[in-house]
Amino acid sequence: MSLFGLADREWIFLATVVFTVTTILGSYSTLKLHRKAGRPYTLSLVSFGWILQTIGLYERGLQYGGCPLANRFELVQFLVWSAIALYIFVGPAFRVSLLGMFTSGFASILSILSLGFDSWDSPSREPIFGLSPWIEMHAALALFSYGVFGILALTSSMYLLQSRSLKQKKMGGLFPYMPSIFELTHINLRLLVLGFCILSSSLAIGSVYWTQDIESVNTLKLGATIAVWLAYGVLLFLRNRETLSYKQYSWACIIIFTIALFSLDAVDSSSTPVAGAASISISSTHL
Amino acid sequence: MSSGHHELLVVTVNHETVPMEERERYSLDEIQVEALYKALHDNSIIEESLILNTCNRFELYFKTNEARNGRSVVYETLSSFYGIPLVELEAHAKTRGGQDAIKHLIEVSAGLRSQITGEAEIFGQVKNAYSKCQQLGGAGALINRMVQKGFQAAKLIRHSTPIGQGQINISNVAVDLSLKIFGSLDRVSALVIGTGEISEKTAKALRSRGTHNFGIASHSLERAESVAQEWGGTPHAVGELDSYLNGYDILISSTNVEEPLLTKPLLERLHPARKNRPLFLVDLGLPRNVESACQDLDNVYLYNLDDLAKIAQDNLSDRQATIHTSEKIASQKSDAIWQMLEKRGLVSSQ
Repeated sequence: MSLFGLADREWIFLATVVFTVTTILGSYSTLKLHRKAGRPYTLSLVSFGWILQTIGLYERGLQYGGCPLANRFELVQFLVWSAIALYIFVGPAFRVSLLGMFTSGFASILSILSLGFDSWDSPSREPIFGLSPWIEMHAALALFSYGVFGILALTSSMYLLQSRSLKQKKMGGLFPYMPSIFELTHINLRLLVLGFCILSSSLAIGSVYWTQDIESVNTLKLGATIAVWLAYGVLLFLRNRETLSYKQYSWACIIIFTIALFSLDAVDSSSTPVAGAASISISSTHL
Repeated sequence: MSSGHHELLVVTVNHETVPMEERERYSLDEIQVEALYKALHDNSIIEESLILNTCNRFELYFKTNEARNGRSVVYETLSSFYGIPLVELEAHAKTRGGQDAIKHLIEVSAGLRSQITGEAEIFGQVKNAYSKCQQLGGAGALINRMVQKGFQAAKLIRHSTPIGQGQINISNVAVDLSLKIFGSLDRVSALVIGTGEISEKTAKALRSRGTHNFGIASHSLERAESVAQEWGGTPHAVGELDSYLNGYDILISSTNVEEPLLTKPLLERLHPARKNRPLFLVDLGLPRNVESACQDLDNVYLYNLDDLAKIAQDNLSDRQATIHTSEKIASQKSDAIWQMLEKRGLVSSQ
């Protein structure tokens, strides 16, 4: 299947090229030309890449008749798509300098990895969610929250970089162009609350179906999902009580997100097409 | 100089041509500027003129319809206006003509020719000079075009190169660092210990960037009260520092002490109650007022006089390193402006 003459992976490949170019241009402009990576042009380029990625994912979704979340490649792509969507639609309100450059870098790395490993895209071109759109919603929300946590990991890295520069009195590199550490700590809290609420909603929806059919979710997926949710919940609790220093909190955000990325394996392993899904796909195509 | 065939010239006396004692002789007040415009207008061969008069430079841009005599007429006018012998004036002043004059205007406006490379104030001074020149009828088609296009080129230089980036005096470096920590300074409280000149300048710089809440601490409460009345703020005695330090986000200290006022154990004791609020310590004292180990604590950022001076020096070096690139832009732009003026018949070909 192709849209405008290109296959789904080709659209995603083009999007990855745009994200990579944005990162390179942003880094060159900031570090070599000493100019602020202009938000308008970064936002335009990232948005362009996001549109290309959306077309690729849409094309992939048409083959399922639903959200393309059936293998590791699709999970990673959807996560990247969510993170970029957050940057485009909510990012301008944060007014964080260089967030676009960091986000496009994040998107490039994950996209290149997902395109590089063919085994990640092991074909399962069949719907995995059965008849219920709610299960699809559950999966999409969970992945979207991972996108939010991805941005949180980026702003946490920015905090650590900025704080380290201030401590070590190194004023070069990205320092002059980054936001203040006070702004970063506020944004980190807002992102944690947002991500945690979205993940909680996703789990709430999933739990309704799980209680009806406990066997439908394997233990590894269940354990990994609850562990990630609990980790962010505990982090939010500690952050609100100011128990952790901002430095510890930032490191925790990065570490939990890295672990959460690996937990996608557990999610992927449970994503076998549901019984009768093929017939649903066929009938929906006929409709 | 290459004046021979040029109709546009600039005569400049500045820190590059003469020492300060001589420059002082060329300083003018507003009334004198008006008088000089009048004296210039009385010469029929001076068609347009623009006087730039700052504490560090005197410049006269003018258009003459007699390329050969224009320069000598202006020098004679200036010599009689200032009461400085012509020979002396010729030794103090430098003249540039044609495209070089335009390039000079761009470089001056962008801060490339300033004593403190890249300083921004000069741009405003050139703008004011132009405005005055328009009011007094000195500007015609040539000056108007040249200055407006020159401003655009100067802005381009300031935006596309790091010529004006980074603060180069200690007080402003401290304020810039505060912004990197707190973002906005509106809700930030600053405590000033000691009443030295740099402390006062830093407090003023913070106030100008939005800080309203100040504390003034001195060894004697009476002294603190008297300074607090003058600068504005809450007076404190240094001896009770631990009772009020947590109410502040920035501490600027420059008092005479034998032992550090602020130690790591003291901060460790106060730190939990701050609940992760950053603390920016600016130690301007010698001997140092803040124990260097305080820097080890999370959310504490300590800068002493040497640190701030080094940042200021590095910023200045960065600015100077970009002069070559900036001059190249000035040269390209002056070339384009000159061609545009030629096309419009406002100057004759070089």
